[in-house]
Amino acid sequence: MRVKLLFHTDLEAIKRVLRSKNVSFDPEKVLDHVVYMFEIEDCSRVTTHQLVRHRLASYDQESQRFSSASREGSVTPVSIQSNESALKAYDVALKAAYEGFEKLTSLGVPKEDARYVLPSAIKTKLVMTVTARSLMHIVWQRTAMQAQWEIRDLVTKMMDLAKEATPELWAKIIER
Amino acid sequence: MKVSLVWHSPSPERVIAVAMRRCYSTKPIEEIQAELDQKGEEYWRYLLMRALQDKSLDVIEHYCLELLLEGMEKNDVSHVAMAFPFAKFMMLNEKDWLLSMNARTLIEMWRDVRFKPFAASIVEELKGRGVGLLFNSVAFGA
Repeated sequence: MRVKLLFHTDLEAIKRVLRSKNVSFDPEKVLDHVVYMFEIEDCSRVTTHQLVRHRLASYDQESQRFSSASREGSVTPVSIQSNESALKAYDVALKAAYEGFEKLTSLGVPKEDARYVLPSAIKTKLVMTVTARSLMHIVWQRTAMQAQWEIRDLVTKMMDLAKEATPELWAKIIER
Repeated sequence: MKVSLVWHSPSPERVIAVAMRRCYSTKPIEEIQAELDQKGEEYWRYLLMRALQDKSLDVIEHYCLELLLEGMEKNDVSHVAMAFPFAKFMMLNEKDWLLSMNARTLIEMWRDVRFKPFAASIVEELKGRGVGLLFNSVAFGA
């Protein structure tokens, strides 16, 4: 999985405005006014289904109506990777799904319908634009120990990039 | 009321084009960006027109704006905030505000006769700053 910060709001520009109006800078007050745009590549659709439940963000995701699908383009959880029998069963299931997809498209079924057989393990790519407030809420929820490993990994990467870009906002995570 | 641009998504039409191509391409982001740079602004204009024609306004949400509004009454702010929940205001003093919004909301304001003058003042500021000129021309004929 790869996460890249494409751009973010220039916090200094906001601080200049605040100074010009004699308003002191308070990180919590500007959380709605700072946005981050991320590129997210090669996480599973299991994880993006969880991610888009956070509605206060803008998402554009690779469409399965147009992209191809293969076993190589799938995420394998460690719990399966580390268990030989489980990995064998997983491979059989994925192979059947991808072969079904190929068979359906070869029979003239459009990809938008053939994709119904594809697994949630399939890797995907998307862009996401989110405010600091919304991202903080996502971080608070999805980096908790009860969150699943893949979204925890994804959101930790997003948080690290946001922290690096705008450290003043991330001195503490505001819980909401 | 005076509108001043504080910040905007860099190269907004390219950002919209990236979001649009992300939906139809399996390539890594750098390859999409390189393709868009190679094809140039006319292609970005084509994608933007397609997005507007197809009403795929989600891709336009990545074009974000931060604005300073000076001399705006609280009542007027309330009207905008209630009609457009994605527009976020921060009060600086009695009449001055920071407004964070995206260009989808700007289009929706422009299309609502009650808020078109407000949207027009933002478009005028963008035009004056030379920001999103291609976007202004396609979305607003400005």
